[in-house]
Amino acid sequence: MSADTSLNAKIQKEVAELSQSIFTLMEGFRQLRDPLAESREKVPQATSQLDKISEQTEAATQRMLDTVEQITQREEEVIADATSIKEQIEAGDHNAPLAIADDIIQKANVNLNDAFMIMDSLQFQDITAQQMDHAASLLEDIEAKLHDIMACMGEAGEEEMPGPGPKRDRAYDPHADLFDKKTNQEDIDSLFAETDK
Amino acid sequence: MADLKILAVDDSPTMRRIIINTLKRAGYSDVVEATDGKDALAKMKVEQPNFIITDWNMPEMDGLTFVTTIRSTDEYKNLPVLMVTTRSVKDDIVDAMKAGVNSYIVKPFTPETLKAKIDQILAG
Repeated sequence: MSADTSLNAKIQKEVAELSQSIFTLMEGFRQLRDPLAESREKVPQATSQLDKISEQTEAATQRMLDTVEQITQREEEVIADATSIKEQIEAGDHNAPLAIADDIIQKANVNLNDAFMIMDSLQFQDITAQQMDHAASLLEDIEAKLHDIMACMGEAGEEEMPGPGPKRDRAYDPHADLFDKKTNQEDIDSLFAETDK
Repeated sequence: MADLKILAVDDSPTMRRIIINTLKRAGYSDVVEATDGKDALAKMKVEQPNFIITDWNMPEMDGLTFVTTIRSTDEYKNLPVLMVTTRSVKDDIVDAMKAGVNSYIVKPFTPETLKAKIDQILAG
């Protein structure tokens, strides 16, 4: 009888310890679930953001290249015109160059406008920089969650495992987009006009 | 236009250069710059601008806090403020209006829009 009691007590202790182990394991899984779900959600967001940066940078660059090609073409024409003026003056013709000079002035003005257009197009840098900050912020969050997961799993060598770096203070608009304005200028102006009434 | 001194506030050096060049082309050559709201508040004391163009998303002090801050002072409560930002969600625009901006442009903007908004604000 005494031997049975001792055995029962031993079994009860083993079961209690097993139960505690299972509880600890379940608790561990519960702690893993949230960071895993969050990481799973943020990876596609970061990927999508990086794809958008790539597409918008490509589109803006192509647009600028188109303009640069037009400027280059006009510059070649200006050089040819100036050469022609020089030749005509050297030949003693002082009237013909005037018409060519007008053409040069016109082309130079168009080139000046195009140069300003390129400058306006460079606004894409601010927008893609914000998109990159958004992607970097998502990746920093994922890094931190993965670190939590590793710590939770009691990964061997955890002490030596480098922790996530300090999260940078990033100022960005998560919806920054080169082409997709959620509200157009007319609607913005209407909002202000309504308030002024 | 001659005595208009504009403070351009943006954390992006590229955007500041674009805004300054666009303003110069439109005839506004007296432009000073600041990198965020905190820097702008410091520059305002020294430079005494009479027109502000500000971004929204900036470190240290964002544009909305900056506008709210200057609107709470007697000195700057009527100072013209144009917000130029990537934020195009309607709720954000309404928040900017409530903070006290006079007009609002979403990036990327055209030089014509920038000039038109400045002229419109100045015309009162």
